[in-house]
Amino acid sequence: MNYLLRGVWLAAALVSMLAPLSAQAQAPKGKLVLYTSQPERDATQTTTAFKQAYPGVEVEVFRSGTTEVMGKLAAEFAAGAPKADVLLIADAASMEALKKDGRLLAYPEAKVAGLAAGTYDADRTYFGSKLITTGIAVNTAAKNRPASWADLAKPENKGQIAMPSPLYSGAAAIMLGTMTARPDLGWTFFEKLKADEAVAVRGNGAVLTAVASGEKPYGVLVDFMAFNAKAKGSPIDFIFPAEGVPAVTEPVAMLKTAQNPAAARAFIDFILSDEGQKLALSMGYIPARASVGTPSWLPPGTVIKLMPTDIGNVVQNNSANLKRFSELFGN
Amino acid sequence: MADTAGWRERAEETALLWVLVAIVAILSLLPLARLLFEGVAPGGRFSTAALSSVLSSATTWTAAQHSLVTACGGTALAVLIGATVAVLVGLTDIRGRNAFVFCFVLPLMIAPQVVALAWLQLFGPSSTLLKMIGLAPAMGSRNPLYSAEGIVLLLGVQYAPLVFLTLRAGLRTLPQELLEAGLAAGAKPLTILRTIILPLMTPPLVAGIALCFVSCLGNFGIPAFLGIPGNYLVLPTLIYQRLAGLGPSVLSEVAVLSCLIGFIAVLGIFLQDLMLRRRDFRITTTSNAMRPFELARWRPAVEIALWILTIVVLVLPLVALLLSSLVPAAGVPLTVKSATWSNYDYVLFDHAAAKRAFINSFSLSATAAIVIVLVAVPLAYFLVWRRSRLLRVLNLVAEMPYALPGVVLAIAAILVFLKPLPVFGLTLYNTVWIILFGYLARFLVLGLRPVIGGYYQLDRTLEEAAQIAGARLLRRLATIILPLVAPMATAGALLVFLTAFNELTVSALLWSSGAETLGVVVFSFQQGGDSTYAAALAMLTVAVTIALMLSTLLTGKPARGVLPWRG
Amino acid sequence: MARLIVDRVTKTFGAFRALDEVSLDVSDGEFMAILGPSGCGKTTLLRQIAGFDKLDGGRIVIGEAVVSSVTQHVPPERRRIGIVFQSYALWPHMTVAENVAYGLTVAGVRDPERARRVEAALALVELRGYAERRPSMLSGGQRQRVALARCLVTEPSLVLLDEPLANLDVHLRASMEEEFSRFHARTGTTMVYITHDQAEAMALADRIAVMDSGRLLQVATPSQLYREPADATVAAFIGEGIVVPAEVVDVDRNGRCRVDLFGLSVSMRCAPAQRPARKARACLRAGNLAIVGADASGIDARVVRAVYQGGHFRVEAQLDHADGVLVHMAVAEPCQLAPGSAIRIGIDDGWVLPEIGKVVDSIAPESADSRRPGGVAGADG
Repeated sequence: MNYLLRGVWLAAALVSMLAPLSAQAQAPKGKLVLYTSQPERDATQTTTAFKQAYPGVEVEVFRSGTTEVMGKLAAEFAAGAPKADVLLIADAASMEALKKDGRLLAYPEAKVAGLAAGTYDADRTYFGSKLITTGIAVNTAAKNRPASWADLAKPENKGQIAMPSPLYSGAAAIMLGTMTARPDLGWTFFEKLKADEAVAVRGNGAVLTAVASGEKPYGVLVDFMAFNAKAKGSPIDFIFPAEGVPAVTEPVAMLKTAQNPAAARAFIDFILSDEGQKLALSMGYIPARASVGTPSWLPPGTVIKLMPTDIGNVVQNNSANLKRFSELFGN
Repeated sequence: MADTAGWRERAEETALLWVLVAIVAILSLLPLARLLFEGVAPGGRFSTAALSSVLSSATTWTAAQHSLVTACGGTALAVLIGATVAVLVGLTDIRGRNAFVFCFVLPLMIAPQVVALAWLQLFGPSSTLLKMIGLAPAMGSRNPLYSAEGIVLLLGVQYAPLVFLTLRAGLRTLPQELLEAGLAAGAKPLTILRTIILPLMTPPLVAGIALCFVSCLGNFGIPAFLGIPGNYLVLPTLIYQRLAGLGPSVLSEVAVLSCLIGFIAVLGIFLQDLMLRRRDFRITTTSNAMRPFELARWRPAVEIALWILTIVVLVLPLVALLLSSLVPAAGVPLTVKSATWSNYDYVLFDHAAAKRAFINSFSLSATAAIVIVLVAVPLAYFLVWRRSRLLRVLNLVAEMPYALPGVVLAIAAILVFLKPLPVFGLTLYNTVWIILFGYLARFLVLGLRPVIGGYYQLDRTLEEAAQIAGARLLRRLATIILPLVAPMATAGALLVFLTAFNELTVSALLWSSGAETLGVVVFSFQQGGDSTYAAALAMLTVAVTIALMLSTLLTGKPARGVLPWRG
Repeated sequence: MARLIVDRVTKTFGAFRALDEVSLDVSDGEFMAILGPSGCGKTTLLRQIAGFDKLDGGRIVIGEAVVSSVTQHVPPERRRIGIVFQSYALWPHMTVAENVAYGLTVAGVRDPERARRVEAALALVELRGYAERRPSMLSGGQRQRVALARCLVTEPSLVLLDEPLANLDVHLRASMEEEFSRFHARTGTTMVYITHDQAEAMALADRIAVMDSGRLLQVATPSQLYREPADATVAAFIGEGIVVPAEVVDVDRNGRCRVDLFGLSVSMRCAPAQRPARKARACLRAGNLAIVGADASGIDARVVRAVYQGGHFRVEAQLDHADGVLVHMAVAEPCQLAPGSAIRIGIDDGWVLPEIGKVVDSIAPESADSRRPGGVAGADG
């Protein structure tokens, strides 16, 4: 059983041990094929920075939604000739599924020092690159400011809530699995949301658009999206609910069938290095290595209460959960 | 003197037939067969597990029913709008005809997802436009478009130009004396419309209807935006949902669902063939295209109505899009102070992929359009005039890549082309060439159906006269038949180009760095929450396409009726 | 030497026999008309000769080559014939000159030779100066001539014409007939002319082949057809012959016989093989009938109606005691006959239909350049 984020408390002032970036023994070269579901801009920045760090490597990127990435992978596996070397996708549940299918290659020498325990797989097959929490987003013109999940599901918010659909978003699926496992939320929470006529849209991007434009003043949204939009002037605020926030780590992993394992390992090294973590920070994410710092939108001294996620549990109950969700929110 | 029984002619014809058979088979049979194989034998082992689990699930049949409902409804609406506009534009004396046609056809060039987004914004509380005029609905109120009716409305509006294009090309060939005969018999214009024009126009009309039905069936973008939030699923969005699920049986389930869509599409095609079969619609005179009906005192009212339609269908969504591309972030109200060009800056200068995407999309769409028309003309010859049975069966198969959702075709293409090609050792995967393959496979019918309609309207003695003059098949196709079907062929090429230019669902899985297409880049922006970048890029796409269409007005003097907005 | 041989050609569409063992020889340079009502199979025959359809039995020979048979089929592109279609089939996207030049272009003939021949062809049909026009700008008659020019520019050995004058008005038809005639005389091309209009056929053809229901009934010169129809169908079709029952009393050697017609004894022409017969049939022409005085020999009849036809009346009358047989004749104007008046009709000649109804085929056709005297054959005793 692998546990992820078991009761981890992040304090802004916590300083962990700093693991120095290992010197590059022999520079990897050739072509590296990366499949990722990061947002477009982030993917570009990541690959550019990686290329600067490892100039001998030519990076080929396929970037799309999680669904498309998984679909493409599935097709490649079925045809017997997978092309990807490394994956950087939204959620650990998909990684677990790939690990179970025996598709991932373990990297025991990865520099996990300083990473919060539980953000990476105990068998070292995948490693979280950052921390993305899901909280409550409100339009600045909204009437209420829900301080907790329970507040959000109150009847006075009827018809005004948007959330990402777990049927299409792996991160939202993890959120579903995490929250339904808690006694204080459970399925009752989602039933209340349904009674409030909450709309399950296709992905966080759609939630952002809905909330920022005022179509649905309240939304369930990932942190960095809300804050990046706010920084550009969108009338949106982000609230960390009192019960805590579920999180995904956007893990990176290499495939067993990687054609350039050296470059793949270098990529994982880069993501986990201080440089890579600082990059994540600059893109507006909470990095996986706390010592690197916290993003500007997080007020100093804020304590983020993470909800524990039993990733194995989530994966096991996934299809049952999705089915139940689909029936609940179906018509 | 006379040589041995014309073996050269027969050889040429047989060779052409087999080349066409090979092309259609490679483009449609191959990917589908591979997909089917995956459906019943995933990973190489035979298993009906996927088949039974999919067919026994209630969700499947609900989605199938929804698909039928929205496809029929969307088609009906599209035919109503498209045919009315075609008749008004083609047969009456309204003014400003070319400008109107230009504007009416424009929505075809905008990707369905962008259309859906624009309409949603238009009607929602967020609507920049409505906010500006103070008519925005209350925050949080339910958007009426999130419903089956909304889907049907948008499908009808999206595909009305399709029906219009095919019908208009057909109306061009209607000669004056047929209508004058009716007028002389004392019939009122409406009666003539009903009893003479529409029956004669059955081939192009039926071609338009079939195309429309299949398009609605396989449309993903509109039900994705309007149906998913309310969990109103149609088969394409159901497939997408399955793909998002985890598990090794995903592809087989997708394959089975694809077959279901294919089956429904085939039914529609059978109906079309049935309707055209035993009726002779040939128009044999070579007289001028007819003089329009006169509207007299109805004219101003009709013109106003048409322009209002244009404004609602085209201008409003575009304006909404434009306005949201000018704000720095989603939700910021547009004022003189907040307006900015930064989105355009980013898209044009900072984002290398957008520039590449323009070039890729343009070249891929143009190549696909030209190749498809060149294949469609001889293909339609064998289908309509030679009644080659082999090709007729293949024709049914060729409908599939268009009827099935793009994501399914993409998966099939990946399955086929992942490994290098046998003899040549070339790899098409992760290059622009696999995207071209996807477009050719998917849009072949878009180009073929109008051309088939064109053949039904041609008098075969025109070809026979050429035969007697000694011309062999290829020469006849090039010098006699192609010029005569040119209006319908160009309508087909135009449809292919416009649809491919904004295409998303096929390229979404097939693209790779360097081979981005416009639809993919817009989609990525939207998914990532960068709706302002998405709007800016979408506006640029529309601008480029308008420029292209305008440029056709400057070029020489093509044959009459080749381009619908050129008189 | 025959230019075209049609040898027992059969064509069936499912259960329907469109052509039933049709045989026909057309000599080099001859103008042969194929005449028959709609649906008789003449267009089907034309399409067989042209090569657009394959036959089910028999063969077709053009020149010295077998072009169609059960085992082989030369495609139309290779038959080196010309066709003038009923709808003219001019290509609307080409000018008149391009239309005419097409066959030459296909054959590889280049300018200036090609331009010269096009010019010559247009001159032949008197359309010089129309080269740059489009077909949609031409009148029916002009399009007709362009079609003809296009057909001839490649100098084919055989030209087929499919009811080419059907779409033209009466005056135009007359002048186009002249056109075809002159043209045939000048060039000596073998022409096969399909038509349902017998006046046209009679005016233009050296020989006429009469068809009905897929069978060939008779092939003969116009005069022979008129004067000696092979059976009742031909007789009725050509020149509105009146077929009546008659009894052949006796036959003499030089092609005449004595016939009893409703009690009247008439001397008529007959075939050399004719024998006395009780139940024969005779063909009468309007020209053989005249109104005679009450004391002359004739048959009594009652006028049914008299229709003015410009200069004369066509009088229809019903014979008394003759099972209501209807006859008609021409009476010069003025004519005072009211319907119902009693008249007496004299008959001065007729033709006894050969009993077996076999096709009377002239073995030695009159050569192409000796035409029978122009105009409709008059009654000659």
